[in-house]
Amino acid sequence: MPQSPRPRVAALALAVGLVLADSSIVVLALPEIYRELDTSVSGVTWVLVSFNLVIALAAVPAALLARRVGPGRSAAVGLAVFAGAGLACGLADELSTLIVARCVQALGGALAVTAALELLPATVGSERRAAAVWASAGATGAALGPALGGFLTELVSWQSVFLLQVPVALVAAVPILAVARHEMATGIIEQEVRQTGRPHLWANLALAMVSAAIAAALFLLVLLLIEGWRLSPIEAALVVSVMPLAAVLSSKLADLVPDARSRAAAGAILVSGGLAALAFLPKATIALTVPPQILVGIGLALVLSALTETALGGRSPQAIHGGWTISSRHAGVVIGLLVLTPIFTADIEEQRHDAINAGTAVILDSSVNPLLKLDLAEKVSERLDDERGKVPTIGPAFEPKPADPAERAEVEQLQGELQDQLDRGATHAFSTSFILAALLGLIALFPIALSRRVDL
Amino acid sequence: MNGERRLSGTVLIVGAIVASLVLVGVYLAAGGSSYEPEKVQNPCQPREWSDPQNLGQIANQFTISALDGAACQLGVSRETLARALATPEARERFEERYEIDDEKLAKAIRAGLVRAVDDAEEAGALSPLIAVPLREAVQQIPLEQAIEIINNAQGFLGDVDSFLGPADDIIEELLPGGLGGLALP
Repeated sequence: MPQSPRPRVAALALAVGLVLADSSIVVLALPEIYRELDTSVSGVTWVLVSFNLVIALAAVPAALLARRVGPGRSAAVGLAVFAGAGLACGLADELSTLIVARCVQALGGALAVTAALELLPATVGSERRAAAVWASAGATGAALGPALGGFLTELVSWQSVFLLQVPVALVAAVPILAVARHEMATGIIEQEVRQTGRPHLWANLALAMVSAAIAAALFLLVLLLIEGWRLSPIEAALVVSVMPLAAVLSSKLADLVPDARSRAAAGAILVSGGLAALAFLPKATIALTVPPQILVGIGLALVLSALTETALGGRSPQAIHGGWTISSRHAGVVIGLLVLTPIFTADIEEQRHDAINAGTAVILDSSVNPLLKLDLAEKVSERLDDERGKVPTIGPAFEPKPADPAERAEVEQLQGELQDQLDRGATHAFSTSFILAALLGLIALFPIALSRRVDL
Repeated sequence: MNGERRLSGTVLIVGAIVASLVLVGVYLAAGGSSYEPEKVQNPCQPREWSDPQNLGQIANQFTISALDGAACQLGVSRETLARALATPEARERFEERYEIDDEKLAKAIRAGLVRAVDDAEEAGALSPLIAVPLREAVQQIPLEQAIEIINNAQGFLGDVDSFLGPADDIIEELLPGGLGGLALP
């Protein structure tokens, strides 16, 4: 090989982390994209769905291509495409342009990640070490993703989330170019590796189900925090960072239990338990989202490592089987988003309607001066008109407050009661989706249970 | 060795189940299953008038009764109708959405005003001598005026004498002071 492996390992880890953390970085930008491109919740979901769908479809063919044309060339081209498409995403001023660019970006990402899986064992010296580098790169990306996405969106813009990926992808491509040049110079393209074992159907199926649940957890929680509870992207980013942080901190737990099937089952149960708890939040309070997130975080650390280990264990070539796991995970994300988006979109509209009715009832039944009440009802109506289809911010409708202290206190109490009804509606709107996501996690227990008995 | 592994795996699974059930149980016990917007009352159901102490309170309950009555006729909630009557634009959207024309809306609001007069009379807030001509009068008024009464019931009730017009003289004879027609304590 033409150079010291350290920069190459770092570059490959960076490439894997960048592509696999894409969803968690971009999800924080979605509410801003939703507002700025004046689209619907279903429309903006396709910014995530398109990327994950293309990776799911392209991962295995990309792995085969990497073995045919050479992993160095494949990774370099993949990163260049990823960077170019990222630039197009950042410059997009229409949802359709953004979605097309995301599809191209996913193609580049699929090439880069699967080729990295092919390059890593040769670079670090063993398949086991390669898998460890790959897993920690993905975990680090997932841990930093939400915070990074939230900070960039709020401090710069949603476009910066994509534009920042351009230099990072190019930096990762530089050391890999040397490998590509070496492949071209020597003509070494495909290594003869004995094919051992077909893709592990049950582990990959379980990965898809669990990934659907985890993607739903992150996506739904971000929407609840930003669109429902009106948190800023930075605040939401800090809140949802609990999940990946818990995953990183509990990763050692997996070492204590060697049985992968038990770890996978326990992880799936924890993910489902956390999601079920999010479905039954007793109040719209950030602190109450922390314990469920910790369960989901620990669960994902256990289940993803166990299932990936099972899917790859004893199978060669790693890139092809790794391609299947990447495909399963991203297909799961697509399933989760496509199944849940129409459900929570309908629920948001229904709960918004119920919350507004309950809020209007609070105003009508209050003891506030009738003329002031009418004025408030009119202003609240105007707020609803201004923010059609969204959970309204009702604060401005209560300004300016009356000068009379008694009347002011009454109005403030009224505002609090109205806000409470809106919070109730916004929180309850996500309940059914969180329950369904929890069920997806529990469904994963079936393939996990079958993974030992019927080992394909 | 294998026994230890199985045991560890079992402990992990049992721990995961217990942790999940405890958290979900705590959230349910804290009211997680009922944390949703309060359901609004069916407008066709009678709504009790609390003891009205002044014109403002009577006007409040008169408005609510009128909205209930009109909403019941239209098959919508009282709250939806209240928002619809807040601005002309809101009313236009409401009529379009529920396929209601001005005539149907006027008929419903008049019916609502009749119910408000009935409720006020029943609660002892309005003298029968005022209620009878008032009931007759509100059934003839145009839509805009009917909406104005709902939106400003206090002004309407405070000046009910001038609204009744020719009946004013009779009221003056029977209830000197006009507003005295409202059976305030």
